[in-house]
This record gives sequence, C-alpha cells and structure tokens, in this order.
Amino acid sequence: MSKKRSSLKKTLLLTSMVLPGALWFFFLRYLPMVGIVLAFKNYKVYPKNPTFWNNLIHSSWAGLKNFEFLFATTDSWVYIRNTIGYNVLWIVLGLIIAVAFAIMLNELTTKFVAKTYQTLMFFPYFLSWVVASYFLLAFLDPTRGLVDHFLVSKGLEKIDWYNSPQYWPFILTICNLWKNIGYSSILYLAAITGIDTSQYEAAAIDGASKWQQVFYVTIPNLRPMICILLIMNVGKIFNSDFGLFYTVPLNSGSLFSATQVIDTYIYRVLTATNNIGMSTAGGLLQNAVGFVCIMIANRVVKKIDEDSALF
Amino acid sequence: MKKKLLAVLLSCSMVLATFGCGASGGSTGGDTTGGDSAGATENAQSTSGEASGGAEVVDASSLEPVTLKMYFHGSNVTDDSKVMEEVNAYLQEKLNVTLEPIWGTWGDFDQNAVLALQGGDDIDIYFTCSWSADEYNKFARDGYWVRLDNPENNLIEKYGQDLWNLLPEVLINGATINGADGYGVYAVPGYKDIATQNCWDVNVDLLEKYGYTLDDIKNTDYYGFEEILKTVKEGEGDDFYPLLIEGAVLERMVTNSIIITGDSGTGNFMSFYIDPTDVTKAGPYGEKIINKFATDEFKKFVEQTRKYYLEGFIDPAMGNKNQANDTRTAKQLSGEYLIGTQSYSLGYELQASQERGIHVEMVPCTDAYVDTTSSQGAMMAISTASKNPDRAMMFLNLLNTDPTLMTLLNYGVEDVHYTKNSDGTITFTDKRADYQPWTNGVGNVTILPPTEAQGLDFWDGFKAYYGEAKEIPILGFAYDSSQMESQMGAVANVVDEYMLSLCTGTVDPEEKLPEFLKKLEDNGIDAILEDANSQLETFMAAKGQ
Amino acid sequence: MAKKRRINSISVPAEIICHIILILFCLLCIVPFIFVVIISFTSQESIRAIGYSFIPKSTSLEAYNYVWRLGDQLWRSYFNSFFITIVGTFLTMLITILYSYALFRKDFKFRKFFTFWAFFTMLFGGGLAPTYVVCKTVLGLSDSYAAVIVPMLLNPFNIIVMRTFFQSSIPEELIDAASIDGSGEYTTLFRIIIPISKPGIATVGLLSALAYWNEWFIPMLYIRDAKFYPLQYLLMQMQTKVDFLVKNSSMIGAEASNIVSDLPSDSLRMALVVLIIVPIACAYPFFQRYIVSGLTIGSVKG
Repeated sequence: MSKKRSSLKKTLLLTSMVLPGALWFFFLRYLPMVGIVLAFKNYKVYPKNPTFWNNLIHSSWAGLKNFEFLFATTDSWVYIRNTIGYNVLWIVLGLIIAVAFAIMLNELTTKFVAKTYQTLMFFPYFLSWVVASYFLLAFLDPTRGLVDHFLVSKGLEKIDWYNSPQYWPFILTICNLWKNIGYSSILYLAAITGIDTSQYEAAAIDGASKWQQVFYVTIPNLRPMICILLIMNVGKIFNSDFGLFYTVPLNSGSLFSATQVIDTYIYRVLTATNNIGMSTAGGLLQNAVGFVCIMIANRVVKKIDEDSALF
Repeated sequence: MKKKLLAVLLSCSMVLATFGCGASGGSTGGDTTGGDSAGATENAQSTSGEASGGAEVVDASSLEPVTLKMYFHGSNVTDDSKVMEEVNAYLQEKLNVTLEPIWGTWGDFDQNAVLALQGGDDIDIYFTCSWSADEYNKFARDGYWVRLDNPENNLIEKYGQDLWNLLPEVLINGATINGADGYGVYAVPGYKDIATQNCWDVNVDLLEKYGYTLDDIKNTDYYGFEEILKTVKEGEGDDFYPLLIEGAVLERMVTNSIIITGDSGTGNFMSFYIDPTDVTKAGPYGEKIINKFATDEFKKFVEQTRKYYLEGFIDPAMGNKNQANDTRTAKQLSGEYLIGTQSYSLGYELQASQERGIHVEMVPCTDAYVDTTSSQGAMMAISTASKNPDRAMMFLNLLNTDPTLMTLLNYGVEDVHYTKNSDGTITFTDKRADYQPWTNGVGNVTILPPTEAQGLDFWDGFKAYYGEAKEIPILGFAYDSSQMESQMGAVANVVDEYMLSLCTGTVDPEEKLPEFLKKLEDNGIDAILEDANSQLETFMAAKGQ
Repeated sequence: MAKKRRINSISVPAEIICHIILILFCLLCIVPFIFVVIISFTSQESIRAIGYSFIPKSTSLEAYNYVWRLGDQLWRSYFNSFFITIVGTFLTMLITILYSYALFRKDFKFRKFFTFWAFFTMLFGGGLAPTYVVCKTVLGLSDSYAAVIVPMLLNPFNIIVMRTFFQSSIPEELIDAASIDGSGEYTTLFRIIIPISKPGIATVGLLSALAYWNEWFIPMLYIRDAKFYPLQYLLMQMQTKVDFLVKNSSMIGAEASNIVSDLPSDSLRMALVVLIIVPIACAYPFFQRYIVSGLTIGSVKG
C-alpha cells in the first residue's frame, strides 16, 4: 500500500518536472501545427474578417497540388541525390572525425593546451556562411584569388572555380566539417569527461594499452551519445544547410549540378511564386521523410542496444 | 490515464494562457504604446474640439477618433517622437486620426510585412509595389488589398477625388489590374520616378583619354563597341574590365525587351519586345509574350557577349550573382569602368559624377517609357484587415495632396530636421540622420519643397520628364501564375542555372544555350507562355473597353 | 592521483601527432577569423583596389566609426543581448534539466510519452506564419524581453542530448541509493545529480547561450521598438540594409545609390562580425572550465 503511494508520489513529482517544458511545447510547437493544413489548402484571404484562422478555415482544399512542384522539374533526381548523398557522407565523416578529436583532446597531458585548441575549434561556429563565403572567395576569386595566383606562378592553368562543379563536392565537404566539427566534438568531449575515471584505472591495472582503453572503455561509454546524435542526424537527412549550399558557392548557376539541394530548390521556387501552401508542403515532405528515417534508425539502434535508443 | 493527462494539460494550459496574458500586459512593451495611443486619442478629442471652430473641408469633430497603423518600407528612423507629435496634432485637426507608423527597414520589411499580412495583423495601410515581397498584383489577387474603386463602395470617388485628379494618367493605368474584386485599382500609386529608361553609363573622362567622344557611343550600339573597348583595355592593362554590366539589364537593353510583372522573381524568362524607335508600339513579335531565350536576338546577344568576355572586356565576377552586385558597386565608385549599364532616374548623371569623382554621362537606348513594373514602383494599399478603410483613404488622399503633411512626414519638422532657405528651397540639418523615411516610399513626392541640391525648379523638370514618359502597349498587365506555380518554380530554377552566366559570357553559348533551351522546354515553359498569352489577350480586351 | 594519470597517459610520439593534427585544424579555424579582423580595419579604397587581402594597402577605422554613430543604441543593445542571454540561458537550463532528468528516469511512468512529445517537435512544426500568429495573438508576445526569450526557451535537441549525458554519467544505483536514503526527487536532482553532471550541463548551457546571443530572426519578428533590440539584430539590420540596397538599387532609384556610396560596406560587414564575436568569445572560458576539467569531477561518486 505504502509502496503504491510512494510510486504515485514519484510519478506526480516527475510529471511536475516535465510540466513546464511540456506546456511550452504545447503552446509554441503543437498549437502552430494546425498550420500544417496549409500544405493542403489554397490559402486565400477571407475578406469579411481576415484573421489567419479564418483565412485558413475558409480557404479551399487543394489536395496534393502544393506538393507537385517538388517533382515537376527534370532535376528532381539531382537535388534528391545531392541532399541525401552529402548528408550520408557528412554524418559518417563528422562522426568519425569528431569522436577522434574529442578523444585526442581528452588524452593531451597539458590541459591548458587542450582548452586552447578547443576554444579555437569553436570559432567557425561563430562565423556565418556569408563571412565564410568571403573568406573562400579570397582564395578562389577568378581574378585575384590566392589559389589561382599560385597556380599561375607555378606555370599551371588557372581554374575557374565558380564555374567548375567537379570541385565542389570536396569544397563543400571541407566547409561543412570545418564549421561543425568543433560543435559536435565538444558534445563528445563532455560525454568523455563524464566517464568515471576508475574505469580507466581498472583497465590500466589489468594491463590494457591506451588503444585498448579507447576501444574498451571510451567508445562503449560514448555509445549512447553517438547513437543519439546519429539518430537525430538521420532525421535531418532530407534537410540541408541552406547557407552552405546557397551562399558559399555564391549562388553560381553553373554549379547547380553539385550544389542544388532540396532547400535551395524550394527557396528558388518560392522566390518565383511566393506561395505559403507550397512552402509548407515542401517542409512537410522533408520532415515526413526525416520522421520515417528516424523511426527506422531508432528501431535498428534499439535492436543493438536498448539503452541507447531515442525511445 | 491518457485522458487524465489530457485533462491536466488542458487545465494547465488555461492557467498558462491567463498567465501569458498577464505577463504580456505587465511587460513594458505592448502596453505602454497602447497607453500612449489612448492618451493621444484623448488629446485628439480635446484639440479637435478646439479646432472645430475653424472652417475645415472635412468636419473632424463629426468623425470618430481613429488610430491608423501604417507600414512603411526602407525607413531609417531612430527617433520619430517630434515628428509624430506634430503629424498627429495636424491629423487630429483635419481627420481626427492618430497615425501609428511602423518603420520597416530595407532589410526586414519583406519578411515582416508578409507575415503581418498573412497573420491578419491590424495594420491599416501597407507599402506595396511590384518588386517587394508583398507584391501588389499577387496580393491584390489573393484578397489582401481593398479595391479602392469598388463599384459597391468607391472609396476613390468618396474620399480620393483630389488625389486622383492630381496623378498622371499612366500611373492610374498602371495601378489598374485584375484583383480579387475584379478589374480595378487596389492601391494608391506614389508619384515618383515612374519611368524606365535603360542607359549606357559612360565614364567620359576615360573615354576622352583615348580620343573618343560621347558621340562615338551614341552613334553605335552594343555590337559596335568592340573597337573602343579594345583600345581602352589595351591602354589600361589586364586587370581592367571596361564593360561593367548587370547581366539581366544588359540583355534587356540590347534586345529591347521589357520585364513582364509577375514573371519569376530571380530571373525573368518572359519577354515582350517593344519597338526601340517608338516605345508605344510592340516590337517584331507583336503583342505577344515569348520565351526570351529562344529568339534570334538573344542568340546574337549571347554570342557577342561571349566574345567580349573572352577578349577580357567583362569581369568574371559579373557571372556570380552574389559577387556581381558588390563588385559592380565598388567599380562604379572607384570609376574603374568605361561603359556600364544603368536604369536611369532623373538627375542620376549628376549624382553619379559627384559620387564617383569622374564625369559620367548617360546614353539612353530608348525613350523613357512606363511599364507595369515602374508604374508600380511605390504604392500604398489598404489592408482588408483594416477596420477603418474609409478613414485610411481619407488619410491617403490628404497625405498625397497636402504639402504640409507630406513635408512633415517625409522631411520632418521645420527648424529641427531641415531649415527653409530664402529662395524657398530647404537644407537638411544633422537631425535628419535620426529621421529619414524613404522619400519615394511615402507618397507623392512632387508636393515636397525642393532641396538645396535639387534646385528651385527641380519639380518642374521632374514633372516634365516623367509626364512625357510614354506608355508601353501592355501597361498594367501582370501575369498571374497561380495556375502554373509548379512549372514556374521548375523553370525559375533552370533560369537561375543558366541565365546570368550566359548573359555575362562566362560560359560558352555554343554548348550551353541549346542545353538551356531544351531544359526550359522539358520543364514546361511552353505551357506557361500559353497561359500568359491567353491572359494578355483577356487583359487587352478589358483595357480596350 | 596526478602520478597515476601520468603513468596512464599516451606515449610521447602519439601525443605529438595529436598536437600536429589539432594545430593544423585550429589554424584552419582561426585564420578566417583573423582575416575578418584584418578586413574590418581595411580601408574601402584598399578593398576596391586589391580586394580582400591579408595585407591591406591601407587601414582605416571607417567601419567602426560608422557603427559608433549608433551611439546609445549600441550600448543599449549590448545590454539587451547580455540580459536576454543570461536570463534566457538560466531559464532554458532550468526547464531543460527538469525535463530531461525525468526522461532519464527509467521508472518514470510517462517517460515514453514525454520523450515523444519533445522529439516530435524536432521534426514537425507549423511553419513560420502559424507560429508567428500564435506567439503574437495567443501569447501576446511582442515588444518585450519575453518576446525574444520565450520562443527560444526549449530545444528538443538539447533535451535529448542532456538526457544522454545523464545516461552516460549517472549510475542507476546512485538514484536507488538516494531514494533509499529518503531523499526527495527534487532534492536528489539538485543536490546529487546536478553537481556530478556539470560537464553536460555546461555544454548544453554553452550551446543555448550561443543560440540566444546569435539570434536575430526572432527579434526581427517580434520586436518593433528599438528599445528592445538585441545587438545581433541591430547589426544584422545594418547588414541586410546594405545587401538589400545593393540588390535592388535599380528599383529604389537615386536614393539607394546615395546610401550605398556612403557605406563602408565590405569592412562594415566584417566589423559587425567582430563586434558580435568578441563578447561571447570572452564568455566561452567560463563554460569551458566545467567541460574540460570534468575528469576529476566525474570521479566523485556516491
């Protein structure tokens, strides 16, 4: 009886902990979700009393018309390939490099230097893509860029970077890693520092080498964090960093075969049509794909390691 | 359990909702302004009470006190307290209106005004035009703007006669469009630089340095520039690019095509050709909208441009959208060019000469003309969400016809933001930096006092130049792409991919032009053009009546 | 203790290799920033003549002077940014910790439901216009500090990351032990769990502080009164103004070209970046102390 009471009390207390957050989600996230209906509507003003809700209710249904634009182009394949291809590549590369950096930072014997590295690694996160694009331009500029100067001085042919799509998968990959590695390695580093040191001590006493400690202590302890970040990244597989694909290549048309992704495609469509239904539809499709992928990824992770799954 | 949870959630949400309201009421922001305006309204009543003794056209005391919110574009306003005090005192006397301006800036207007409209904010009057995000034609079709000459409630006839008599006919024609309530006027057009005239922007100092004169430019055209460009390029060295162009503008200048309003925002692909010798007539293709990239004119143009590019006359940076604007501005300001492209407005050559420290002249390609885009350059529309459309129209009428009000709202308070000179011109003071709305965005600029820099007879010249601007045959037409949105989006992406690099010569047209044309066709450009032409026919029929 | 760590550390050559890799990467990270600083001090003439360069022809304070002209507004916005960041981060951390701690507890009855409740919003949202309408008309968020803080309070990503930190650093026996000792749920959380989760908390705190500091879009939507402008938005306004004018100059006419010619546009862009980064970069070590020195804290175990 008292056990039951204490269990009820526990549930109540824990529920009270989630309550502020749960309410916030309700008001700021779930309430606006009514707007998803826009994806299936021809949004028009209801002239008698044009509030947003009235407009929404009185607009006619559009069926799937708002989704058509995503597949009305002969380039659907190009942007789908680019979006998913870059994402898969970057999830894998990002994971390996960030974990490696976090482990390296953790193993350095002088903590002051480690701190300095870590601070510096975070700087790209502060710089917007616009600024990054200027920096890149200083190197790749067709008339006064440093790289072309160098090539010419070595007697080599100049490269017209902003009109040659073949180089851009590499450039974009470097840019993406440059910007995001600091951010994700800090997450892993914090997770490593949370590991109980006695585990290392025990391993060392058992005669484990440093490598063995990394593989048998650090990585297993990082597994929940790796899995969670992986799952969440998989959910964004059909989204892409707009600034990276739009601003960094300076919106150059000749590079579209390498730089067109779903977000840039939708953006360019919307500057032509400015239709709120279509923008909602585009976002909804991206999220729905992400949702399916996350569910699959979560199930896979759950099979391997129950505790590391998202839910 | 789930039911219980829901119940808990709901009851909590009620609590939070009241809490939310309480918090917002208690916070400093929204409430203070509300209090202010309430106080101001009281003032209004007392002042209007005093003023009602004097003779006024509109009897302000018979009108309910009303607050009008007005959303401006392009403002640079950090302190409007003095101005609004005077404006509102004046307005209360005239119309019993309190004006609450929202000073949208160049950067945030597009996003915020559209959101405010879509969200049904209680804003009465919006700036709108053919080129900002709350695009006049589309938003009129979607029902955001009140039709001003609605036969059932003709606001112009009732309250806007003075204003309507004052506007040039072309402006009214340009504002008359197909909207949600039929063919009519949905916004008050601002009387500003309403004409388009594309010009060659010539660096005369440099031209004369190499022994040429302006006549050498005037007497030839784009295809005849080669010799001059070559001479100057050789003289100035490898890093100098004599042709400073904006790809899309250059294309229109050379082929004499005009922008179709309602075309894709990033790169236009529809074209209407005018006769360069008489802009009131249609060009070689008649009254028809065509795919501009499939014409012989375009082919000839890109081939020539490619040639110029390969000879080093065009900076490769011009082929990159994001880089082109910055580079062009920089080169203009440092005078590092020979011939540029420019969409002209009156007095531009003087201003440019001054800014760049060189002698700049403009060589026009055609007479000045008025097309839909330029006539809809700055307008004021009444939102269908407005509770007081009648009063808003009264206000717009007064603003555009009353020099005192226009000067006050546009230039600020006399002896604070500007001082009057003995000859009737005005000079701005330092305070002007705190209060700088976009002059053209407020309304009829011709009733403003001329500034010292403009000179006393500026507005006479202005009215003469723009009054003479001719109307192109399809003025007022705007394409409604609502039936073709998917195709528009697909085609816009294709245009983005090829157009600028072709128009600046950075890619080889031999290879890319056929590829481009095929892709346009595959993505449905023909269907769009068919739709556009049938709309044009209907429009011309309505216009003819 | 120190001696033990010495023994159990990586070999010297391995450490040197680590240093080389990290130094190279750090250079890649810091050089662009140095570049930005240099350009912000470069004169407009130099940029027009030789473009962006590490070695400008001439320097100038033009860009900073231009920003300086904002006067009081600049300091006011600095204050707003600090205020919003500090208050916002505190509230965010409080709600995030409470929420994710409950999700961490395997014996919480509604664990699955509330995990999903948060997670689902990471993927699906109503979009800009509906959110704007709800915030403005339902919640009355406009022209106040709350209008900037409330829309950014929670981020499901942070909640889930926080939960994962708890998972990887708190042994379950600890909670059982605490509950046997008769410690209440809140007491356990604040007295026992939070002190040993400092690295995770500091990390999430850092991420949300950065988010508040960098935010300009939300103030743009909900703030019209300059009194409440945070720094990032104030500076962003200058930036977008320049970009917009340059892009639309043909539509705006003579006035636009006038304004553009007055602006030190290139160096200004960079000066704005410097003004934004410097304060937050100074705050960074504060968080970092907890992240890197976490090793010793982690060993404090019940």
